[in-house]
Formats: sequence, C-alpha cells, structure tokens
Amino acid sequence: MIEIAGLTKSYGRGAKTAHALRGIDLQINSGMFGLLGPNGAGKTTLMRILAGIVNPSQGNLRVKGHDLTTEAGKRAVKSVLGYLPQELGMYLELTAAQFVDYMAILKGLNEPRERKSRVAAVLEMVALQDSAERKIKGFSGGMKRRVGIAQALVNDPKLLIVDEPTAGLDPEERIRFRNLLVNLAVDRTVILSTHIVEDIGQTCRDIAVLAKGQILFRGSPAELAEAADGHVWSVTSARLEEPEPGLTVVSMLHLTDGIQYRLVGPRPKAFPLAEAARPSLEDGYVWLMKRAAG
Amino acid sequence: MKYAWLTYRRDALWFPPALWALFLVIVAIMRHPEIRFNLARGYLGFIMPLISGMMAAYAVLEDPALELRFATPVRAEQTLLARLGLIMAVQTACALSFQLFLLALKVDLSVLGGLFGVQLAWFLPTLSLIALGTAGALAGAQTVIGAFLVGAVWLVQVMMKGWFDANSRYLHLFRGVLVPGDPDLVLNQCVLLAGSMALLFLSWVLLHRQERYI
Repeated sequence: MIEIAGLTKSYGRGAKTAHALRGIDLQINSGMFGLLGPNGAGKTTLMRILAGIVNPSQGNLRVKGHDLTTEAGKRAVKSVLGYLPQELGMYLELTAAQFVDYMAILKGLNEPRERKSRVAAVLEMVALQDSAERKIKGFSGGMKRRVGIAQALVNDPKLLIVDEPTAGLDPEERIRFRNLLVNLAVDRTVILSTHIVEDIGQTCRDIAVLAKGQILFRGSPAELAEAADGHVWSVTSARLEEPEPGLTVVSMLHLTDGIQYRLVGPRPKAFPLAEAARPSLEDGYVWLMKRAAG
Repeated sequence: MKYAWLTYRRDALWFPPALWALFLVIVAIMRHPEIRFNLARGYLGFIMPLISGMMAAYAVLEDPALELRFATPVRAEQTLLARLGLIMAVQTACALSFQLFLLALKVDLSVLGGLFGVQLAWFLPTLSLIALGTAGALAGAQTVIGAFLVGAVWLVQVMMKGWFDANSRYLHLFRGVLVPGDPDLVLNQCVLLAGSMALLFLSWVLLHRQERYI
C-alpha cells in the first residue's frame, strides 16, 4: 500500500546541510506497522512526509498508488488520511464535539447530518461521548489525546498515522490507546511511530527501526529480539558496580542478596558467573543501537 | 464561517470593535466639524488598514492546530479566504457602521468622493496591508516579520506623503484619504488593487510550502 524508495530529506544548504532521512526504502502493507527509533532518528520527518506536509528532497513515495511528491497526489492521500501529530495543537475554547466537527469539515465531510453522526460515533469510539460538549481546555492530557485520535478517525481514513501517541499518558490510558489502535488496524493501515519499545511490542507484527535517518532493521518484534540472542546477560552482584565498557545496563533490580543486573553486550569478563538471558524486544533494540553506534 | 470565527484568536478579534468604539466616542465628543472629519478620516483611512494588516500577519500562522490543518485536503485558497475573509468582514462591518454613525452626526465625508469613493478610500489601503501582512509573515515564516513590514510600510507612507507626491504617487497607500482630488487617483487605486492581488497570490504560493510553518 505504501511504497517508499530512496527517500531522502535534507535541511539547510552547503556545509550546514542536515540529513534527516538518508535513502529510506520501505514497503508498508495493510495492518499495524511500528516505526521505532530514538529521539532525533527522523521518525517525525518521515511521518510528516507520509502525511503530505513535508516534501522529500529526493526519492519516490506512493500511497495507495498516489504519488506524494505531486500536489494532486498529496491531496488524494490527505483525503484518506488520519493524522495524529506528536505535538497536538488544538483550539482549547472549542468543545470536543466542535473540534472534531471542524476537522471533519476540513476533511471534506460536508453533509451536516452525516457529519454529526460520524462525530458522535468517533467520540464514542474513544469513550468521550459524555464529555463531547465540554471545552477541551478542561481536559486531561489523556483526554486531549483521545480527542486527537477522534479527529484523525472522523473521515474513516484508510491510512492512520500516529506519531508518539502515548507520550504523557498514564499506564491505563496507554493500554486503552494501544488496544484502540490494534482494533483500528483490522481494516486499514496504521503507522505507529514511537520511541517506546513496549508500545511496539504490544501492538505490531511488522516493525522497522530508524536511527540517524536510516532503516537499521525491518522485520517482526520476535526477529528484533532474536538479534540480541547470546548478547544478553543476567548477573547478581553484592555491590553496585559500573559495567565494563561495551556493556549496557538495561535493568537493575535490588534484591535481598544484592543487585541483579541485566546487561546487553559481549560476555562480561568481570562476572564469570553471568548467565545468558532470553532476549526481550527491548534487549534487541538496545543491541541494534549499540551495533549501529559501532 | 462559524468555525472561522470560533477558531480565530478572540483577543485579536476584539481589537477592531474596541477601536471602533473608541473613535465613535471621540467623534461624538468633538464638536468642531473639521476635527470630526479628520478623526473619521483617520480611523477609516489610517487606523483600520494598520490594524487589519497587523491582524493578517498573525491570522494564518498563529493557529494551534496548524499541523492538523496541513494534514487535511483543505486548499491554500480556502485557508486564506477563511482567515483573511474574517478580518475583512469584521472591518467592513466596523467601517459601514461607523459611516452610519457619522451620517447621524452629520459628519460630511463627501470630500473623499461619493459613497463608492469613500468605501475605496478605506478598503484599498486595508486590503493592501492585509495582503502585505500575510505575504510578509509567510515569506519570513514568522508572524512578527509580517507585522513589522506592515508597521514599517504604514509609517513610511504616513510620514513621507511629500515624497510620494513627487516621486511615486501610484504607490501611495493613503492617496484616497489624503489627496482625494488627485487626477491620478484611479490609476493609484488600480495599482494598489493589482499590488494586493499580487501579494495575495504570493501568499497562496507560499502557503503550499507547509513544512516551513510547522
């Protein structure tokens, strides 16, 4: 459904050129797709390009057959797009229903009766039907995010792009949000961009890891976890110790008999009794980042 | 239209009616016909264009949901029409109601031309500074650049009437209120209209480069 070939995005000119994306090649099919990467990896730039807001410097990009490098293609994609940006700006003086209604108008839903029922349906979908007539300025962060997803869904998009959607949400909200996204992915393409590994692991079967503007990994979460096989160690030490260079502490747990470390990297020489541990998705991600950093 | 109103900055929208009310009171208080005329001319011909231009500089880019708006298929011309049209609608309401008030007070504006001439005297400088404020903000990708340009041009145009008389009368924004009897006034008005259209076209082109504004 989405074909990206040789996608490059640069800012600035000459010596001051900054490369946000460096020759991305990706094919994304229907369902839930996770884009994982550290802050500054280029995820938001890629999301904005896919949303038709930012123009690529080079490369080809087609969404449902529409060329996103042309104005006509952008308009065609935007008419089937739902977009939830990382920094969600809203009109705080509007009620939730008014805000979603306004976004529906911008998206071309011109028939008032149809629009009204659609607005009510998406607000119910995000469990905001009881707060529909309340002004957004009185909403919590989680409720604002839910209004954000409601506006993204109001045109029943075939492509839903959500950029760091769970940032700032409490655990309950995060779980609810993730479940909602998975449900939505049944009959559309949902692209979830995040730096939170857990969100990807709980929702996606198809993921890519982006770092420094390049795709470092493409596959399933299980395959990413497997990449760290033989490089994850569990050690219990009586005292707090600095890990050897080249090892990353992914977790520390204070036990009654000492501190349990989970390490990613080569076998720790200082701990001959270190046991190999079964890698998790987070371990795989950390190992990938370590390898990329050289 | 309902949402154009609801999503516009309220504090900015109160500004034109506040000035309108202020000038109404001052004109009502003053007794001398010439002072009343000059106040009316000042409000319609100078203050309204300045305020409109300043508002236009902030109208498009100062939008909390700009990124969401850019992700919709709404066209650049629709955005410009919604934002600038609202400013023009508010200012038109202010200008027409102000003239009705002047009529009640028997303040004579016929020096500025007939009914149509009076409307052109405030409309063209207002449209010009709206177009300049919008294009300036979009070209600089900052609202303050548009506002600065409007303020600078307004000041130069007000202060340098003599220079415009001698050198560039077609580009004088306030010709209609300052020299209404100028034989070249129609040409001046045509130039202002064409210039405004060119700046609005430039704004339309610039608004397609959405990544500059997020």
